[in-house]
Amino acid sequence: MRPQKALTFWCAVLGIIVILTACASFLSSYGPNDMNLDEVYVSPGEDHLLGTDHLGRDVFSRLLEGGKVTLTVASVSVLLSLVIGILYGGISGYVGGAVDTVMMRFLEALITIPSLIIILAFQAFMQGGMWSMALIIGITGWLVTARIVRSEFIRLKDAEFVKMATMFGTPIWKILFGHMLRNSVPAIFIVTLFNFAGAIFIEVSLSFLGIGVPPAIPSWGNMLYYAQNDILIGAWWIGLFPGVMIFVTILAINFIGEALKNPERRRLDA
Amino acid sequence: MLKVDHLSIEIGGKQIVDKSSFFVPRGKITSIIGESGSGKSMTVSALLGILPPGAKATGKAVFNGKNLIAVSDKEMGEIRKAHLFTIFQDAANSFNSSVKMRHQLYEFSGRRTGDSSQQFQMKMKAILDELGLSAEIVEQYPFELSGGMLQRCMIACALYVEPDLLIADEPTSALDMVLQQEFIGLLKRLNEKQGTTILLITHDLDIVAEAAHEMIVMRQGEVVETGNVMTVFERPEHPYTRRLLESRF
Amino acid sequence: MTVKWIGKRMVMGMIVLLIVSFLSFFIMHAAPGDPAAAFYGGNAQTLNAAEKERISRVFSLDRPVIAQYGTWLAETVKGNFGVSYKEGRPVSTILFERLPNTLLLFGVTMFFIIVGSIWLGTAAGMKAGSVWDKGLSTVSIVTSSIPAFWLGILFISFFAVNLGILPSSGSGDIGDEGGFWDKLRYLIMPATVIILTHVGIYARFLQESIKVESRNYYVTVARANGIAERVIRKGILRNASIPYLNYIGMTIPSFFGGSIIVESLFSWAGLGQLTVKSVITKDFPLLMGGILLTGLIVVVSLFVIDLIMYVVNPRLRKGDVR
Repeated sequence: MRPQKALTFWCAVLGIIVILTACASFLSSYGPNDMNLDEVYVSPGEDHLLGTDHLGRDVFSRLLEGGKVTLTVASVSVLLSLVIGILYGGISGYVGGAVDTVMMRFLEALITIPSLIIILAFQAFMQGGMWSMALIIGITGWLVTARIVRSEFIRLKDAEFVKMATMFGTPIWKILFGHMLRNSVPAIFIVTLFNFAGAIFIEVSLSFLGIGVPPAIPSWGNMLYYAQNDILIGAWWIGLFPGVMIFVTILAINFIGEALKNPERRRLDA
Repeated sequence: MLKVDHLSIEIGGKQIVDKSSFFVPRGKITSIIGESGSGKSMTVSALLGILPPGAKATGKAVFNGKNLIAVSDKEMGEIRKAHLFTIFQDAANSFNSSVKMRHQLYEFSGRRTGDSSQQFQMKMKAILDELGLSAEIVEQYPFELSGGMLQRCMIACALYVEPDLLIADEPTSALDMVLQQEFIGLLKRLNEKQGTTILLITHDLDIVAEAAHEMIVMRQGEVVETGNVMTVFERPEHPYTRRLLESRF
Repeated sequence: MTVKWIGKRMVMGMIVLLIVSFLSFFIMHAAPGDPAAAFYGGNAQTLNAAEKERISRVFSLDRPVIAQYGTWLAETVKGNFGVSYKEGRPVSTILFERLPNTLLLFGVTMFFIIVGSIWLGTAAGMKAGSVWDKGLSTVSIVTSSIPAFWLGILFISFFAVNLGILPSSGSGDIGDEGGFWDKLRYLIMPATVIILTHVGIYARFLQESIKVESRNYYVTVARANGIAERVIRKGILRNASIPYLNYIGMTIPSFFGGSIIVESLFSWAGLGQLTVKSVITKDFPLLMGGILLTGLIVVVSLFVIDLIMYVVNPRLRKGDVR
């Protein structure tokens, strides 16, 4: 039963992070962008729970607000890649034959190109707000989802109940959505979960490089971007906390994904 | 040669083999017969010390003066290497698919007897030839050979090492009728020519009738009857054996 | 069989490069100003009318886009990547200055990751149920959840700022007085960060493969017949290395993505840092070149892995796909 406990624990951790960031504006006593040049680089203490940055902004409020931005960008992009992935993989798997071969070859080629490179190319032109960020991450992140959906569809196409439904003349959209997609949900859920972690990674990385979310909007990645300089003068708290948040969030997602991936085998191992 | 005394095996509290006792005489072919689930394969695993994790064996199995159930892993390794040879059911999967037959055959035979690579090649070539296998197979990979060929490769190794005791666990059930006949013939020849003691595990009474001298009948983890094949076939004592023999015809 | 297989792999690599080149070409087209300016960068202003017309002719700007792509590709294949906006030097020159640093970082980290993961993964996988086995499963998830660049920030804070024993950024120059050892000092932190965040997950993959492989029938058969444990393990490792190599191939693209970020953090003068810088400064010719070269490196590394697989896996060689 231990894996079950671990699953509950990590779900709770992730839930707390989501709730904290969602309620950012209620929980912090400072605005995330309130500058106070009299209080720059204040160490963590009573007034500022996690200290202030180079413009005297409260790190705690920025951390929560930044989490909201990072998680929103990641969620939107994952939803987008989920839709593209299901469409691409579904068509490839359901139609099959030459169409499938061509689509899969193309996908294999795309998978070979580091997605960060593609995103960099797009970012050179589109450096806009956080929504364009979400868009770019979404349209580069659907490849694995498509592959999973395809293999699920191919598996289910031959399943008894799908054959029965076809025989009874069930409309094709009903077979696709009601039967095949619904039965692929567990597999799609897990890959989407890992995709979510991946999207966080990419948002954070790009913002960290200074080419992601615009500097005016706080995000975990942006905070780390400024922390690069702050750390050199010894203001460790500015870099530490966003990193810890990213780490714990991704850790929680990974552990949840692992626990769900193969429950039978996990139980045997424990 | 091998005396098994009150051997019990349990996995996770479930009794798989219950206090079974039997004797394998030297120079004879002894057969353990039983349906699947009778515990005959588990018995072999216990004798060889390859029980799956979580399984526990108690009792005695004395082979050449050593209790196989109680010896250390190291000693067991020595015994397996020096005195035993085991042929398993699934020949097609008995070899590592990405290693050439030459190396695997050498590990199974020449390495055990301490022969050099040259000695091995000479001797193995003769054996393969005798078994109707081309010498070229040593340069091939297992997936390029058929199940029947691989099973003959196994018996080639047994011929090579001349073990004190040859254990064959359902060696023919993955082969077709013709290959089965051929394989049984090879076992008999090994027994007659080299005097090898053979423990043959099977679920097939025809094979027992054709090859074995002694037989042990197992049912649901218990030994129900032992004795000379002729005697048992003529006057079966246990009702299960009687039913078994009746269903044969 | 061999020729056919290698040919197929090469075609795949060409398709990848083609897509990358489309991406690159798209940048040139989407860039503000006309493509000639994009190609010749800041120098475009100094060109006179006649030269501009010559460029237009060379790039067939009056012809359909696909023809333009053709001429551009022909130029690129010849090694003419244009001129950098900011530096005014040919892109190819800049790229080749950066290439050795990237290959050095890539080579060193990959080497230690492979050696380390084989060591850890084998130790854990061969002893199913041991402390090693359970420990590695957890540790690998934890280490792979750490953003490499954040670990880098912590490292800089500790080793460069607090202890002052390692340089916080730069890549050192072999030509300088310090020579090799100086370069090594610069290499330690970026390399360690990448290795620490990756070695666990690769080790874990090998560990799982070994555990699956150990459950195979032939292992029991070999063990029952007194074959030396060393020989059995060698065989298991050989078979387990096939999915492991596959995994390395699959993850090389994202591994490369990660090292781009680490290069930028440590100002390691490699291709990744160059590419990121060119995005920030909107130096389009440089960005195009960086993308193309990165694509090429990935394709070549995948091809190398394919070749190793081909040697390790006799089924591939014999064309048996069961």
